[in-house]
Amino acid sequence: MKNAAVASLLVIFAIPLLIAVAELPPFGDPDAPIHTHISARYIEQGVEEAGAENLVTGVLLNYRGFDTFGEVTVIFTALAAALAVLLTSGGVQYFQEDRPPAPPKGADESERPPTPVSPVVLFVVRLLAPFIGIFAAFVILHGHVTPGGGFQGGAILGAMFIVLTIVLGAGKVRPRLPEPLARWLQGAAPLSFVLIGALGVAFTGFYLGFPPEHSLHLVRELMMVVLEIGIGVGGAAIFARIFLAMEAD
Amino acid sequence: MLEALWHNIDYVASVVLFCIGLYILIAKNNLIKKFLGLNIMETAVFAFIVTIGVIEGGDAPIMGHGAQAPFHSPIPHALVLTGIVVAVSTTALALSLIIRIYRQCGTIEADELREME
Repeated sequence: MKNAAVASLLVIFAIPLLIAVAELPPFGDPDAPIHTHISARYIEQGVEEAGAENLVTGVLLNYRGFDTFGEVTVIFTALAAALAVLLTSGGVQYFQEDRPPAPPKGADESERPPTPVSPVVLFVVRLLAPFIGIFAAFVILHGHVTPGGGFQGGAILGAMFIVLTIVLGAGKVRPRLPEPLARWLQGAAPLSFVLIGALGVAFTGFYLGFPPEHSLHLVRELMMVVLEIGIGVGGAAIFARIFLAMEAD
Repeated sequence: MLEALWHNIDYVASVVLFCIGLYILIAKNNLIKKFLGLNIMETAVFAFIVTIGVIEGGDAPIMGHGAQAPFHSPIPHALVLTGIVVAVSTTALALSLIIRIYRQCGTIEADELREME
């Protein structure tokens, strides 16, 4: 009964979508509206105007810099909200019978033995971690010329941190990143946007404006790299912190 | 109509994926599974948007030497990058909320939670 209801609902939902899909311009059509308006102009003039050979990075950091600024703020807010949900105790605990007694404060992560892992996994992860780190740095720093960028590199860097935490245990990984430094790193993405935005005011009079003159193209590239590093490191630090907060349960 | 659908089979794939996600969201009882369903729906939307930007015989929109027109549209890529980041943020927040629910109620099954009220 329930399944029939769900199935009929799905069919009702799918039919309008399929009708809409059938009306769309054919797949890969060069005359489709998406290829004839802004996109054409970005492809023609994007390299000179935005200063990045990778047009996706150019759109992301230059044409739509404000959008990306909002986006990094969203990740930062997600971190704040996740920590607020996870770290505050608040309210009555309805469910306490089956839980093991909470460990005493202060003696938590560092004393808890890490989950046993196979020596093969331990060896491979330790061997690969530096290479993953180098790859992440390459993807972040080279993002305006080759496929990649701050978000992608940040995801790789965060994944490296998470793998290390799973294998070595939070007790060994956490001291590597002292708390005051970690706080600044978590805010790195919005902070770098504020910094570069202010620099843009100095150069062009517009917030997040990149100098369009050809003589300043090195400055422009440097601004982009700083933004990418900010996004990458900030994103990685935020993912790692959220993971640590979830892992503590 | 069927012929048009066949030409746009790539878009139809996103519709199918979207419906799979919607099914999981409605039919499953476990909150984490429900949220995975929502994530599949998000993925379907991202796949759809990226697919729109494809051009026949095109290349990645990265200039530099050796680059040859035509290029895929860079705008959907940038938009989807934004979307993925927001999806990750909502996933993190939702998982934290689910952890909190488990801590307070001892279950993440939707019907048991409803009984508890």
